[in-house]
Amino acid sequence: MLTLRGITKRFGDNLAVNDVTLELRGGEILALVGENGAGKTTLMRIAAGELTPDAGTIERAGEVGFVHQHFLLVSDFTIAENLALQRAWSFASLRTLEAEAEAIIAATGIELHGPSRRVEELSVGEKSKLELIKAIAKKPRVLILDEPTSVLTPTESAELFAVMRRVASEGTAVVFISHKLPEVLEIADRIVVMRRGRVVLETKSMTAEELAGAMVDMPVVLSYSPHPNIEAIVGVAGNGQSQFAERFRDEHPEASLIPEDRSRDGIIAEMSIAENLALRTKDDPAKLIRIYSIKATGPNQKVGSLSGGNQQKVLLARELWGRRSLILAAEPTRGLDIEATAFVHEQLREAGDEGCEILLITSDLDEAFTLASSIRVMYRGELSEPMTPEVARERVGALMAGLR
Amino acid sequence: MRQIGAAIASLVLLSLSALVFGRSPIELLGILINGSVGSRFAIDGTLLKSVPLLLTGLSVAVAFRAGVWNIGGEGQFIVGAIAAIITSRFGLAAALLASMLAGALWASIATAMRLWRNAPEVLTTILLNFTAIHLLGWCVNGPLQERGAQYPQTDIAAAALPQLGEVHAGLLLAIAASIAAWFLLYRTAEGLRLRATGFNARAAKWAGIDVDRQLVRAMAMSGALAGLAGGIELLGVTHRLFERFAVGYGYSGIAVALLAQLHPLATIASSIFFGALSTGAGELQRTANISSNVAIFGQAVVILVLILFGSWRARD
Repeated sequence: MLTLRGITKRFGDNLAVNDVTLELRGGEILALVGENGAGKTTLMRIAAGELTPDAGTIERAGEVGFVHQHFLLVSDFTIAENLALQRAWSFASLRTLEAEAEAIIAATGIELHGPSRRVEELSVGEKSKLELIKAIAKKPRVLILDEPTSVLTPTESAELFAVMRRVASEGTAVVFISHKLPEVLEIADRIVVMRRGRVVLETKSMTAEELAGAMVDMPVVLSYSPHPNIEAIVGVAGNGQSQFAERFRDEHPEASLIPEDRSRDGIIAEMSIAENLALRTKDDPAKLIRIYSIKATGPNQKVGSLSGGNQQKVLLARELWGRRSLILAAEPTRGLDIEATAFVHEQLREAGDEGCEILLITSDLDEAFTLASSIRVMYRGELSEPMTPEVARERVGALMAGLR
Repeated sequence: MRQIGAAIASLVLLSLSALVFGRSPIELLGILINGSVGSRFAIDGTLLKSVPLLLTGLSVAVAFRAGVWNIGGEGQFIVGAIAAIITSRFGLAAALLASMLAGALWASIATAMRLWRNAPEVLTTILLNFTAIHLLGWCVNGPLQERGAQYPQTDIAAAALPQLGEVHAGLLLAIAASIAAWFLLYRTAEGLRLRATGFNARAAKWAGIDVDRQLVRAMAMSGALAGLAGGIELLGVTHRLFERFAVGYGYSGIAVALLAQLHPLATIASSIFFGALSTGAGELQRTANISSNVAIFGQAVVILVLILFGSWRARD
């Protein structure tokens, strides 16, 4: 149905997909699993022709339908109008469009009533049904669903699975991208595990624990020295970490806060280093630039023109200098090189040595195990019990994938 | 540099527009320059026009710096003048203070609606302009109408700004206001928080800034400056209120502030440029019979050139 050979794709320095070969077969439900950033979506966007690979070949027979994780619907339009966007051009009354919509919906076997309702009135579950209808209506030979259940209730997920099975039984190759292992085990005929851009496992039957072990890239650093004052919250991004951090901020205004999205929530790019520092500390900016070894022309350089690592150092200087009792550090090393990462870790350890309590939110397990003496997992907004690194080592993968 | 380029480009385009009227561009440019800075009389006229423009320009600069889109300078200008005429019997200082207070309160209606129901201030401030215009109309036809009730206008204000030659002392007040605004924005912690909020409200919040409080303060300050502009125009130039009292100074303040890249000190130069444009356009109407609307055309050209070259955004 569709064959990918030797596919490689880079985004800047990041090797998103690394020499992947994969065949999609008609009539089969293939689950593509892996952590965030493992390359699942990128690989499938290449399969669908949305991205061009840097290397490799694609053999495609027929239409590829892609249901994206984020809705691509016109929210001011009705269901019928959204479906009509795929229709060939002709004059048609609204009533005709609604009749056509009803026929299209009936043909897919998905239940969605009231084609004259506007999309913004629909529930999230209904919107995802509409996306699915749009994709199936084109009668694709390959149907790709990117994390379709992340917004669905269990009943809605069950409905979705029934539709997937029927579509597959009609000869379509169905790809189910997910990191929820119970669902994967329930629905998939074949499972492909990706990690850091590579396919690391391809299997037809496996236990959830084995799968979790393959999916999560458990770090094998030999010498950890977890810090007693650092607690880590790990989890796949999008499981409520951002909301947790914002709640923490509002409840602890006195804390030192390193937000996860540096450029959006952390620094003020248009202002100088001195001005950014002055928002939280009265100390001499030139001195802080020296202490935090920020590479800059001087205190008046705009923070937006610094490298990511140096922006993060400005943020650390602003938040950590002088007053540390409680620190929230969310993804503090995201996008940083090895040297800058080491600097951030060192700063956090130092703060811990001074008796500061540190809460580290990270999706980088390496980071969690390197720094934290206590680890919790966040899944769908809920925190697990704290675990020692030894216990966490055994259980983190399963907990992150939603297994209890 | 771009700012000067935009100013020059607008003058060139203005001159070329003479071709539409069948005149020579050089002649038009000559009249424009001569009529705005060519004589002592012309310079005085330019300075008089610059004073309200400087204050409404500052009003816009302070608000935009804080990320608040106050388009309501015109309405705040009007209520400032109304407050000034009512309180002028208590003396000059009282009238000026009242004008600032009135402008601040008028602008704060928009803030309240933003905080209460998240109503965008771009819309509410502009709608409050129309409300203010009608309030003025009612005042000069009703409670504030002159004794004898002959024309829709008020009596002469009981206080007036002292004259410095042909120019009133409001010029000094306006310059003092721009220095004060600069000091506040660039030399105080409050100004730092205000600008941080304007650049990136999310990051400001993470840095512990009360973003709503910044909004309230910026809007009040911005309204006070526009109200003061109205008070000074009344106490220094017109001395009484009438229906057509506001002639667009509130809106022109946006052009003034954008040309100055929202910098309080640059606003002085920018207001003089637009003041000169307006005075020169008056001369065009008198001697060449070309509509003084070319001044508005000039403002539009400046803004368009600035937007085209992407330099209207706040920069330090």
